[in-house]
Amino acid sequence: MKGIWIRVLLVLLLVSGLGLMPMLTGSAAGAGNLKAGFIYVGPIGDYGWTHAHNKARLIAEETFPWLETVYVESVPEAEVGTYIDRLIQQEKVDVIFTTSFGFMDGTLAAAQRYPDKIFAHCSGFKRAPNMATYMADFYQVYYLNGLMAGALTKSGKVGYVGAFPIPEVKRHINAFTIGVREVNPTAEVHVRWIFEWYNPAAAKEAAEALIKDGCDVFAFTEDSPTVVQVAAQNGLPSFGHYSPMYDFAPDYVVSGQIVHWEKFYLDFLAKVYAGMYTTTNLQDVDYWGLLREGAVEVGAKPGMIINPKFEEILRNIIVEDCICGGGYVDETCTCVEICNKYSVYDLVMLRLAQMKDFEMVFDPFTGPIYDRKGNLVIQPGTRATYDELLTMEWAVQGVVGPWPGEP
Amino acid sequence: MGWETWLIGTISRALAYGTPLLLGTLGEIYAERSGVLNLGVEGMMVMGAFSAFATAYTTSNPWLGLLVAAAVGGAFSLVHAFVSITLRANQIVSGLALTMLGLGLAGVLGRGWEGKPLAAALPSITVAYLAKIPGLGPSLFVEQNALVYLAAGLAILLWFVLYKTRIGISIRAVGDDPATADAMGVNVFRTRYLCVLLGGVLAGLGGGYLSVAYRPAWTEGMTAGMGWIVIALTIFAFWNPLLGLVGAYFFGALYHLSYRLQPWTSPELLKTMPYVFAILVLALVARGTLKRRMSAPAALCEPYIRGEE
Repeated sequence: MKGIWIRVLLVLLLVSGLGLMPMLTGSAAGAGNLKAGFIYVGPIGDYGWTHAHNKARLIAEETFPWLETVYVESVPEAEVGTYIDRLIQQEKVDVIFTTSFGFMDGTLAAAQRYPDKIFAHCSGFKRAPNMATYMADFYQVYYLNGLMAGALTKSGKVGYVGAFPIPEVKRHINAFTIGVREVNPTAEVHVRWIFEWYNPAAAKEAAEALIKDGCDVFAFTEDSPTVVQVAAQNGLPSFGHYSPMYDFAPDYVVSGQIVHWEKFYLDFLAKVYAGMYTTTNLQDVDYWGLLREGAVEVGAKPGMIINPKFEEILRNIIVEDCICGGGYVDETCTCVEICNKYSVYDLVMLRLAQMKDFEMVFDPFTGPIYDRKGNLVIQPGTRATYDELLTMEWAVQGVVGPWPGEP
Repeated sequence: MGWETWLIGTISRALAYGTPLLLGTLGEIYAERSGVLNLGVEGMMVMGAFSAFATAYTTSNPWLGLLVAAAVGGAFSLVHAFVSITLRANQIVSGLALTMLGLGLAGVLGRGWEGKPLAAALPSITVAYLAKIPGLGPSLFVEQNALVYLAAGLAILLWFVLYKTRIGISIRAVGDDPATADAMGVNVFRTRYLCVLLGGVLAGLGGGYLSVAYRPAWTEGMTAGMGWIVIALTIFAFWNPLLGLVGAYFFGALYHLSYRLQPWTSPELLKTMPYVFAILVLALVARGTLKRRMSAPAALCEPYIRGEE
């Protein structure tokens, strides 16, 4: 019977996350005099988050002849320190990028361990003299997608498959819901969590569960095109995430979120190479890329903001829009509302232009915003501050479903 | 109306999600019944998933894809068979190596295949007559995949072979007491080889189902731990194909419900539900009255060396 317990133990160990073994892969680049190491949380073939980072890494490598890169994929979040050690000691890298929220503390510890190396951590908030942070955030894009989703839902239930209930994902769901409710004040956004960044089967079953509960338009945070496919199999529209997912369902992908991580990597690496960024001046270096910066893009695929198949439908749905961003904030900081009738198509284009504007004349997180428990979370006429965005735990009105960590 | 749609939804999702698990479990049951533990299920599945996708994509024939997946899974399992049966190496190490090899190899070969939609996916079928049966019809016979029925049929067939035929007796004898089986004239090596091969073929098929029917798409590491659930389900099923069927569908139902019930219960708790259940059953197997009748094959993990006892 000893055998069986060893097996039970083994199975438990392996089920709990050793499924994918990280492997180190070097690039073919020649003699570079700056070497950067990338630590990824998923496989580069996920066609989502990690895929997008890796594409940007390749662009950086192609752009800079002096750059050499190396990457490790599918690194468990708790083990990031070990992999940083290996990249620095064996691969002799000068710059380390870690690309998951869960790598934050491990990266910070490593930055203190190796004060002569440069670190940059994606999606976190802890920095050090030799550790910067960066994020290309989708919340504005999710808001635009929400406007379209709110117009397209017939059941009044929009489905959202969420990865982890952390501020980043909550911010996206909130922005999406604000968009949905702006054009469809009674619609609900139903949320299911899968507690994984990458698990196609989990995403599929969560989406199926939402369909069984009556949802008919879909958005998601998971690193594969699964939700798009499930929706399409059921004849329902959806929004792509991270990579252009139009090709997976040309008749059903309405729009989506596309990232351009290279905006960050090119800028950061060039500044490191030029000596502008050193191991002593990164304490306040925090890249935050939105639509205005070109770090993110709204679209079913690059250049296609709205799938032409949905253009007419969206042009024919007229909504009256009175949200403060449509007006302006006067000298006394009060919101002057201007109500206007728009087609949803025009509204999306207007909001996009407003957010891309150098002054960013509109932002979805503009008060007054109440959470779903009725508390005023953003004061009238003000916008959520950067800190508020990064620590957002509440759920806006219209979000339905579990919300772990809700204040 | 309410409870009926719940039942239909749960059963139909249990079948869809449970099928790859069932295929893998049936194969693993046979391998273990013959005395060979194969922890390489995840590796064989993911290789099956990739080869099925690549074949179906190039030839536009999903059935051919499944055939290739079965062949690739089988070929992969022979590596484990050779190492653990002929070379008599440690089965746990060899199986783990197979899993890592499979995940790595499929990942490397699969570069460039991700992000491609599969036009020639295996279509879902609705059995017109049977779909009209109230309750059961919509849950069992609407929009299910042909492989779902194939896997269920296989479970019954493999149960029959294992318990009601001479071949089955030989397999069980080899797994329990290879020396005696050998003395009785059963070819231990051949039996073990064939059982491991069957395990590989079915795991490959399960992987193929994932990439050409269930999703259908290829992304690296897309089996995401299913191979390990198969290992647990094999124990859970007490090495009995029919219980394997029950276990796989039960796990599928719990998996579906873990998302469906989220609005009412803590999602973190629900997420652990299938696993907690597996542990409970395992603990039950390891002690008490069930122990003798339903424990693991006695010679599991033990390489057979002729003439030694």
